[in-house]
Amino acid sequence: MNGVSHRLVQVPPGVQCFVGDEARRRRQIEADVIAVFEGWDYEEIIPPLFDYADVFSSRALLPKTYSFVGRDGSLLALRPDFTSLLAKIAAGRLAGRPAPIRLYYSGEVLRYEPPRAGRQSELFQMGLEHLGGEARAADAEVLAIAAECLDGLGVRGFVLALGHVGVFGGLLAGVDLDAATLERLRERVEAKDPAGVRDALPSGRLPERIAEALVRLATLSGDAGVLADAEQDLSFCPPARAALAELTQVIETLQSAGLGPGLTVDLSEVRGLDYYTGLVFRAYAPGLGFEVGGGGRYDTLLARFGRPMPAVGFMLGLDRLALLLERQGARPSAPPSPAEVVGGGGLGRALERARGKRAAGTRVRFEGRP
Amino acid sequence: MSLTIALSKGKLLAGTEELFLRAGLPFPAREGRRLVVPVDGLRFLLVKDMDVPTYVEHGVADCGVAGRDVLLELEPDVYEPVDLGFGRCRLVVARKRGAAAAAAASTVRVATKYPRVASAHFLERGRSVEVVRLAGSVELAPGLGLADCIVDVVETGRTLAENGLEVAEEVAASSARLIVNRASYHARRDEMSRLLGAIAKARTA
Repeated sequence: MNGVSHRLVQVPPGVQCFVGDEARRRRQIEADVIAVFEGWDYEEIIPPLFDYADVFSSRALLPKTYSFVGRDGSLLALRPDFTSLLAKIAAGRLAGRPAPIRLYYSGEVLRYEPPRAGRQSELFQMGLEHLGGEARAADAEVLAIAAECLDGLGVRGFVLALGHVGVFGGLLAGVDLDAATLERLRERVEAKDPAGVRDALPSGRLPERIAEALVRLATLSGDAGVLADAEQDLSFCPPARAALAELTQVIETLQSAGLGPGLTVDLSEVRGLDYYTGLVFRAYAPGLGFEVGGGGRYDTLLARFGRPMPAVGFMLGLDRLALLLERQGARPSAPPSPAEVVGGGGLGRALERARGKRAAGTRVRFEGRP
Repeated sequence: MSLTIALSKGKLLAGTEELFLRAGLPFPAREGRRLVVPVDGLRFLLVKDMDVPTYVEHGVADCGVAGRDVLLELEPDVYEPVDLGFGRCRLVVARKRGAAAAAAASTVRVATKYPRVASAHFLERGRSVEVVRLAGSVELAPGLGLADCIVDVVETGRTLAENGLEVAEEVAASSARLIVNRASYHARRDEMSRLLGAIAKARTA
């Protein structure tokens, strides 16, 4: 008997349950972030919890996706991310709406995650997508919104680390490399491991200056001065230079808008979901060992759904924000004042009084007795 | 707040001490039993070598020193900006001298402290694998019939030879790496780049 009741209350690994202050704090964070999204005129989308599996095209997420076969034999998947869903909605349901389209979401995504730092199988994400419109303006807008969210929540010392996948991609454009080598190079650049990049270089199959630039790329992160170093290192490669010019323009825009101090440049940030095509960024803050959120530009994703359109977006992880704010010692939102107890004098009369107080907006605890 | 550095109490400690002293950085005294040691503006955590990446990945330590062998096994999500050059060794497959027959078996039984590395190594070569996970003295396993072969680190190969084993294949080369928490790298850039700079300079000196 004991064994059975124990099993029934057991929690499956990877999911969480929030009670009391914890739940209240999460709702407060969510409300604060949504207020910023709405303040920049983004419109809420409540997408479905599952959809056809092929909507979620990211190869990186594929092994983490909970998929299942529907009654009609179609392959379905619990949403592992929101961006693909919003792209589908923008191209389908909102096909007639002129660009730019500004959408936001707030909800859970589900992923198989091995237990490790800051990852659960059920993640609560709040994010937005800016679809269509002028690219550099949109990039700057979403970064400004991300900064405002973190500022508004009282996150201290946060940094937005900006990169551009076109630098790595540009260096290797037109070079014929097998997928495994490419992945190993990407992984070592991401690890900021110049020695490892050198080891992963395919001998004799890359021109010397491209090989050297890849090794250098692993070291190109820091303040805005990195951009000048990078320009020298990449001067021989027009596509990488073009990517760098885009990034520089965004950074200059943000600097002139007063957002310079919270920015760093991270050209070796080439990870991220495989649909990113341009600017990528991550938000870090002291107190949490991993990013609280991030995003980037994905100019080819919408074409999959038949409405080619450039796009940029980002998301913040609610679980991570809550942890970060707690670690930074943020004051929990005040617990609600005690409710007014209403009871006595017969059940019907007591209930009537309680309803009266409710109509006046008072918080009541009903303790009527028959 | 000072930077926190996770160090392994194992075989990399001597090389790390030498490097830190050369870099003009403080280092904890060797005789103490404390596991958290503040020294001159840095804070050191002394932990098991397989745990260093965990402390750094979670950000409990801002950086640490770990062998590439351990990083290959654990695949932590950390930056690895500096190959420190010491602690050189090889991760290898070793089997009993002259045991060619075992190599042909359809399923390889391998004893190891590196289950992920070992199974990936054989699976990628189209071999089925059965991993026998051990915490130490892995060299005993083939002689006792617990496994066909082992995947382990070797420096000189003497322990292998003493146990009747020989290297069959090299899996990877390893050396000590400086690993850095991703958030600390960005959010504490000034302190971190001073530390990284000092270490990188001492490394090449």
